[in-house]
Order: sequence, then structure tokens, then C-alpha cells
Amino acid sequence: MTAVNARPNSTPNSAVSWIKVRLFPNMASGIVTLLLLPVVVYLAYRSFLFVAINGRWEVIQRNLTLFMQGTFPRDEQWRIVVQLILMGLALGFGTATALAASADRAREAGLPFARQRPWQMARRFWPLILFVLVLLYFANTSAPWLVMLVALAVIGVGATARFLPTRLRNLGWILMALSLIAGFQVVSGTTGRSWLATATIVSIGVWISVRLERLETLPRLAAKTVLVALAAAVVFGIYTFVTVPGIGWDRWSGLHLTLWVSALAIVLSFPLGLLLALARRSTLPALRALATGYIELIRGVPLITLLFMGQFILGFMLPAAADPSSVTRAIAAMTLFTAAYVAEIVRGGLQALPYGQTEAAQAVGLPPGKTMRLVILPQALRAVIPAMVGQFISIFKDSSLLFIIGINEFLGVRSLVHAQADFRSIAHAETLVFIAFGYWAFAYSMSRESQRLERRLRVGL
Amino acid sequence: MRVLRVVGQIVAVVGVFLLLRWLFGNLIDNSRRGGISLDFGFLNRPTQFQIPNAPDFNPRSPVWQMVVVGIKNTFLASVFGIALAGVLGLIIGISRLSQNWLTSRLAAVYVEFFRNIPPLVIILFFAFAVFLHGPLPNLREAFEVGFPGTSHNLFIFSLEQWGVPSLADAGNLGYFGLAVAGGLAVAALIWRWRTRVHDETGDPHHRVLWTFGVLFALLMVAYVLLGEPFRITWPTLSENRRRLIDGFAINAGFISVAGALGLYTASHVAEIFRGSILAVAKGQTEAASALALTNFQRYRFVILPQAIRIALPPLINQSLNLVKNTSLAAAVAYAEITNLTQASIGNGRPAVPSIVILMAVYLSFSLIISLILNVVNRRIQLVAR
Amino acid sequence: MTSETGGNAFADATQARGEAFIEVTDVDKFFGDFQALKDINMKVGKQEVVVVIGPSGSGKSTLIRCINRLEKHDRGRIVVDGIELSDDIRNIQEVRRETGMVFQQFNLFPHLTVLENVTLAPREVRHMPKREAEDLAMEMLERVKIPEQARKFPGQLSGGQQQRVAIARALAMQPKVMLFDEVTSALDPEMIKEVLDVMVKLAEGGMTMIVVTHEMGFARAVANRVVFMSDGQIVEVGTPEHFFTDPQEDRTKLFLSQIL
Repeated sequence: MTAVNARPNSTPNSAVSWIKVRLFPNMASGIVTLLLLPVVVYLAYRSFLFVAINGRWEVIQRNLTLFMQGTFPRDEQWRIVVQLILMGLALGFGTATALAASADRAREAGLPFARQRPWQMARRFWPLILFVLVLLYFANTSAPWLVMLVALAVIGVGATARFLPTRLRNLGWILMALSLIAGFQVVSGTTGRSWLATATIVSIGVWISVRLERLETLPRLAAKTVLVALAAAVVFGIYTFVTVPGIGWDRWSGLHLTLWVSALAIVLSFPLGLLLALARRSTLPALRALATGYIELIRGVPLITLLFMGQFILGFMLPAAADPSSVTRAIAAMTLFTAAYVAEIVRGGLQALPYGQTEAAQAVGLPPGKTMRLVILPQALRAVIPAMVGQFISIFKDSSLLFIIGINEFLGVRSLVHAQADFRSIAHAETLVFIAFGYWAFAYSMSRESQRLERRLRVGL
Repeated sequence: MRVLRVVGQIVAVVGVFLLLRWLFGNLIDNSRRGGISLDFGFLNRPTQFQIPNAPDFNPRSPVWQMVVVGIKNTFLASVFGIALAGVLGLIIGISRLSQNWLTSRLAAVYVEFFRNIPPLVIILFFAFAVFLHGPLPNLREAFEVGFPGTSHNLFIFSLEQWGVPSLADAGNLGYFGLAVAGGLAVAALIWRWRTRVHDETGDPHHRVLWTFGVLFALLMVAYVLLGEPFRITWPTLSENRRRLIDGFAINAGFISVAGALGLYTASHVAEIFRGSILAVAKGQTEAASALALTNFQRYRFVILPQAIRIALPPLINQSLNLVKNTSLAAAVAYAEITNLTQASIGNGRPAVPSIVILMAVYLSFSLIISLILNVVNRRIQLVAR
Repeated sequence: MTSETGGNAFADATQARGEAFIEVTDVDKFFGDFQALKDINMKVGKQEVVVVIGPSGSGKSTLIRCINRLEKHDRGRIVVDGIELSDDIRNIQEVRRETGMVFQQFNLFPHLTVLENVTLAPREVRHMPKREAEDLAMEMLERVKIPEQARKFPGQLSGGQQQRVAIARALAMQPKVMLFDEVTSALDPEMIKEVLDVMVKLAEGGMTMIVVTHEMGFARAVANRVVFMSDGQIVEVGTPEHFFTDPQEDRTKLFLSQIL
């Protein structure tokens, strides 16, 4: 039984042979195919009908603004537009700096580095692009199109950061951080609580300093600490004494709020989780017990109970003067919740690292603090990136719980939509499908990026 | 430097203690000032609202009874959700690995869709788009699926409740129970007998066929001898078509929560099964093939035993997640513990103790499942040097 | 180009020991565009010990893995004891019952005891009763000199012990030919000897063996024939003495100079 053709049939190379091998490799499989095929065709047909013909999509079209920004005051909408553009700028700065940094490292190591063309990036993020296109399709005016074009143009502006020389690479990150903060400020003015803003800035500082592993001498460390403290004091001072009008986040809603709440919870939970993980491994039993107790407690209860705590109990725990808004409580609850999970993930990464790394660092004379910062943490954190991103996706999806405590984020605005007389009892499927699509576009993209990162890192390691 | 570290840690511990003391001090002060109690005395007061679909419960029942109902409902939804997720997840996980392009792609689409949307959206979809405002008729005009050839209904579908057949005692159910117990004992003996035959002669044991065959035969005999000890009740609408009598009525809320969470968690379970099978090293497959084991034997003796060891811890973790996710029922009309606690607080019950009880309930579930996980982990560890 | 100088040795081997037990004819194997085996022709007679040597990537492992269908050859014929290897699963199962394979990574089943590892296939494939299978297994474990480890789990044994269990596991199926795929490459040096000793005893007992290895001492001791492969082709075949005293091809000389 010899195969006489020129190339062996190791892979099916024609349509007929593909069908035979992939759909009917044996009897049982063939029957399954025959049973499934009509079901799939029927479902596809009904879905097509629903999406293209029968669906009452005017519910989305007429309420698009509600979905996007909820009950944000209409006359202040320009703030969100400017924020969107500044986000585009930040995106440009961020991606350009990240790509340029990778290119630098590759060039120094003598490895090839493939530049991603814009259209390749577009293919990578097709769910998000599809979602944006759907949004634009439902838009009633041409204004969103204009804003989208400006945002795209501005991404290009930010992308010029890749021309920064290597020494100034961190300037790109700083520009990105500044654009993000400016974007936040443009909407909220100084009506946000000053200490939360400071906490955010300090968190970003921790992010950056974990990246900047170049703390060398004690004087330089001291100088950096002083600078950060000074910056915090300045910010605090500005918030206390200067008043810039804006719309505080307790009045944000819709998809706008969902994205910001998720982002803030992610950013704030990371340093807290890191500290918790280190505390859990501490030599001091009291600290270890406290950290372990906290982590196990938080991980044993659902997020909704913490949100309830924030709503009903937090007010009693603070002096009467401080009355944080609903959104503030929610963000605090989500941060405390996520921090426990981040702590467990980081702990897993630290445990997986071979003890030989610590020994090698000690053998060259590194003190424990530097060992942790320069040798252990960078490796451990890199190893758990996939698990972290999974947790971030989780918190993004969990932001949908906010509507149970009365905050109208992306999922919650559907109650506003269906409170209208026209849509009280119809089009429920349509709104939920649209909302599901929105969440899916973001979460699926994040998940794919994480898988991609995982694959690249495994090659590197 | 070491002194600095120790001092720093002590400062942290002291700082946390002071913070907690301040927070709880404020809590006690503010509560006292507002005349709100912090004790658990409210548990004996009447609930003051009715729980739908709980016939033994009325607004005068004490709050602690409400808590019991809540825990029971949480437990029911969790059990059904976990069962659904387990079965569905297993099927989809194995389908992902199939050689058939259609099955593996469908399974992949299922996983990538359900994993990336919030479970709350799925619950709301069931509650609103399938049930409340969905295509199903309300109870009065319920859609009845008849059992062909008889005048009974097999299923009843409506907006509020679904009816399925159920079993009812028709006399000797107790004796039948004894027969079942006896049958199981005999079945166990048959199982051991066939295994011993296999060991001694090497013939295929066919023990599944033997055991279930004998069990079935025995139960049939018992059924006839006891003169129909139980009967099947078919779901029927009452005279005024306002209630479901006979059969077993499942509420829309329950289906929304258990069904939606089952579908959602199944996507995670599928990935766990798939990953665990892939994680069994390729060399094991090769060694088994080289020994001339068939595909089925390879899975049964080599791959699945190792895959299950890998899969069990994350599976138990997912079960815990599902239990915690039942709290999402607070958004729909299913009376599990979170929903009831929220209603109770809305009715004026003190928030702090209520939420403490709520968290204690979930912590207990969590603790039990963690214990199970620890026991399982210890039993399945592969022996190494 | 095959240089069969020891050409006489080759002919002698098959004639002296009778019909060719394994026949590999005109075999090619591709991995995508890469050709791993080029025009392989080889005959192995009963009770012959053939040692296959060559640099990594030369296709030696691929060749023996084609013989028990762990890899599928793309062109040519492979016949084992009269059974031709084809896509028919029954042929494949028959061939696998007659061939035993020992792997570089041992591939013992970690969730079964040593005894269970060895008795699994005889019980499930040859339908042996349990006691008979266990007696056979203990006999095999004694042949590889570790009967006292029968109740232990693979994770508790050293590398050398695990590999010997793997040999016992393959022998328990009473195969007609044993295939060894670089079985000592993953072992610490002090454990290589114990495994090689077992293999030498097997060869002296008359087992047909194809051994892919770097251990030249083993080749010298028991091989009837040595086959040198490079870049997917058989370059030179001969007796062990031929190789070590008078290799013909340049590639052979280069390889031997690197390892001897």
C-alpha cells in the first residue's frame, strides 16, 4: 500500500478531503456532524433574522447616549469628548512607548523584531473595532463620527512618542500618565475627593517605580521619596484650595462609568494586592495572620456583600462629616475585593520562583529589599501576567454588579431605558444582547491579548 | 537594615490595629447615636414581608426563618447549577478536543462567548428576555406539551413557572425504598463478583452491564410485586388555570439563576477539562500506544486518571465561585439569602448584623468547600520522593 | 549513498539468522516540508541486535518510531513479522503487540504502582488473569533486578530504576522485537551502567533489538550490526569492528571522531 503521488497526504489539501477528514473521520463522528449541521444552520438563520430583520434595534438607537454616558448632564458632554480625545493621546503614547521599548530590548539582544503594521493591530483588535462600528451605526448625528476621527488622528500624534531617544523612554510613560490624569480631570474638575486622586497618583507612581528598577543609592531613593511626597502635597493643596468646576464621578454613568470604575479598581488594587502578598509572606506572625485573615475573608464572600457593606456600613464607620458618594464606596469595595485576589496571584508567582534565585542574589551581596525589588518581583510578576489579566477581566465583568446597589453603569442603564413608556415591556432581549456584546468585545480582546502574551513569554522563558 | 524591616512590620501591624479600632469605634458611636441596634435580637422579630413560593412562610414568621429559607434556596440553586455546569462542561470540554471540526468549533464558540460576558447579564437575559417579557405565555394560557398518546402533559411552559413530571407515593413507597437499598447492595456484590472473575480468568468483566442489568431487573420485580408503589404525577393546570398542581413546579427565578449560572460556569469547567487532558504529558499517550492499548483503554487507564487529578482543584474552585455567584439573584426574583437580606434591610432591619450574617453564610459555604478541597488534594497526591 | 562494506556482514546476518523479521523498504517521512527520512532500506533478522547511531536530527528516533507507528511513514513499506503497517488500526495494534518500546523519558504511569505499570497491558490487551499477570510481572522485574520495588510508585524510584521498570513493562508483553530510543540519554552517568547491563543480558538471551544510542561500548559488546544515519539517510552499515577500525564514508569518520 504505497502512496504514489509526489507529496504525501499528511495534511488534507483539497476541499473534499478536508470535509472527509474533519467532518466525517469515522462513523460516530459523521453521525454527530449530520445531527449538528441542521441545528447550527437553524440557529444561524434565527440569529440573522433577529439581528438584521426582526430586532427592535431602535431601542438602542434612541437611547445610545444613555448607554454611553447614562445620566451625565447633556450640556457638559463636551468634557467627555475632550476626555475621549485625551484617552486617544494616552493610547498613542502608551502603545508607542511599549513597542519602542520592546524594539530597544530586542535590538540590544540581537534578536529580530517584527514591527506591527497598523492594519495588523486592527486585525488583532477586531472585536473592539466591531463594537465601535456598531456604536457609530446607531449614532443619530454625525458628531460621534467626527469625534472618532479626531481621536484616531490624536492616536497618531501620540504614536510619535516612538521617536523619543532611548534615554528618554520613560518620558513616554510619563506623558501617557499625564494624559490619563488630564483626561480624568477634564471631566471631574476638583469635585472628586482630593485624597482619592492622590491615592491614584501614588498608585501610578508605584506602578512606574516597579518598572523603573534603577533605584541605586540611598540618597537617590530618599530624593525620589521626597519628590513623590512633594507632588502629593502639591496635588492635595490644589484640591483643597483651588476650585475647578466639573462633574464628580458620582454623577457619571453608563459605559463611561463602567470603564472608569474598572480601570480605577485595577490600578488601585495592584499596589494593595502586592503589599498584601508580601505581608502574607512576612516573618512577623502578626502581620502574616492579619494578611491571611483578610485575604481568606474577602475570597470567601461574594462581591455583592462587600458592596452592601460599602453602602450600608461604611457610612457608620466614618465620622459623620465624611460622606463618600455611592460610586466612591463602590470603587473602594471593588478595590478591596480585587486586592485579595491579586495578592493570591502574586503569592503564587512568588512561590513558583525557584529559591535558587534568592540564593544567587544573596550570594552577590544584594540586601533583602533590593533582592525583592530587582530579582524576585520582576520575575514573579512577569510569570503571573496571564492570571492577573484574567483577574482584571473578572473585575471588569463584575462592575456590572453596581446596578444592584443603585449605580447606573452600563448594565444598569437598561432599567432607565425600560422605564420609558415606549420600552417598558418590549425589546428586553435587544438591550441585553447589545450590553452582552459590549462586555464581550472588551473582555474577549483582553483575553486574547493575554493569551498572546502568554505564548510570547513562554518562548522567551 | 534588618532592624528597620522588623520595625517597619511592627509599625504596620500597630497601624492596622489602630485603624480597625477607629473604624469600629465610629461604628459603635454612630449606631448608638442613631438608635440603631448592633445585636442580633432582630432575628426573632417578624419579617413583615412574604417570600414568594414559600408556602410555609408568612409575614409574621421570624427573621431567622427567613434566613433558613434563604440558605436553603442558595443551596438548591448551587447544587443544580453545579450539576448542570459539570455535565455540560464535561461534554463541551471533550468536544473541544474532538477531531470533528464542527464539534470543536461549536464548543470553542460556546466557551469564548460565555466566558467573556458577566454572569449577571445571562441571569437578566433569562429573567427578562425569556421569562418576564419573553415569548412564553403566562400561566393562564400556558404552553402544554402533551405526552403523546395520553391526555397527560409532559411539560408545561409559562412565564412564571415550568411544570415537569414528578413522583408521588401511591402506597408502598417505603417498601420500595427498602427494595432499592437491597438492590444496591446486590448490585455492589455483583460488581465485586465480576471484578473477581476478570482477575482470575482475564475475561472481560462487563461489570457495568451486569450490575445495572441486575439492578434494573430487581427493581422491575419489586415494582410489580409491590403493586405500583409510586406513580408519576403529570403537571396539570388547576381548574381556574391559576396554579400548577401535580407534577413539580419550577419557578422562573430558580431557572434563571441556576440555569444561567450553570451555562456560565460550564464554560469555565469546559476549559478546565480540556486543559487537564492536554496537561497529561504526551509521553504517556505514546507509552500507552506502544503497549498496544486501544484508544478507549488509553483514556480509561492512563489519561483520565491523571487528568482528573489535575482537574479536581480548579473544579472545586469553580463550584465555590458558582455558590458565590448565586448572590447575583439579588437582581431578580429568586429568594436566596442575598436577595432576602437586601429586602430585609429595606424593610428596616438593622444593616450591620444582617450583613454580618450574610457574610457568615457565604464564609461557611466557603469553608466547607475548602475543607473538601484539602481532603481531596491530600487523597489524590501522586506519591513522590 | 549507502556503503555496505560490511556489505558482507549485512548479507551474512540475514542469511545466518533466517528470514528478515523487520523489512523497511524505500521509506520516506516528512514533517511538513522537512524530510526526516530519505529512502530508508533496512532489514533486521531474528535475534539480531542492530544499533543505530548518528548526530541529532539524523532521523534515528523517527525511524524506530515509524516501526511501531508512533509516527506514520509517508512512502514505502514497513513489514514487521509479516504484518504490513498501514492505516488499518488492527494492523497497527498487532504490530504494537509484537514490538516493545522503551523511551528516553521512561514514560512510566505515575498514578500506578510499578507492578501495576507492568501488568496493565498484559491484563487489558492479552486478557491475562490477574495472578498470572502478576507472576509474569515479578519475573520481568527480577530480570531487570528490581523485584523489591514492585509496590512502590514510579515517583519514588531513581532514574535508572524507572528505566529498568520501563524495560520490564515492555518485556511483559513478550514482544518479538524490542525498540530502544536513546534510553540512557536522560540518566545520570552512574545509572547508565545498570540499564546497559540489563540490555546486554537481553541481547545475550536472544532478543531481537533495535537500539538507538550514543553508547559505543554497548555497540561493541553486543551489536551484530551498526547503522550510521545522517540527515535522514542511512550512510554506512557494518559490524562494530568495521566502524571502529575502518569507517568508509567521510560523514561517518567525522561523527565517530566527535564521539569516540
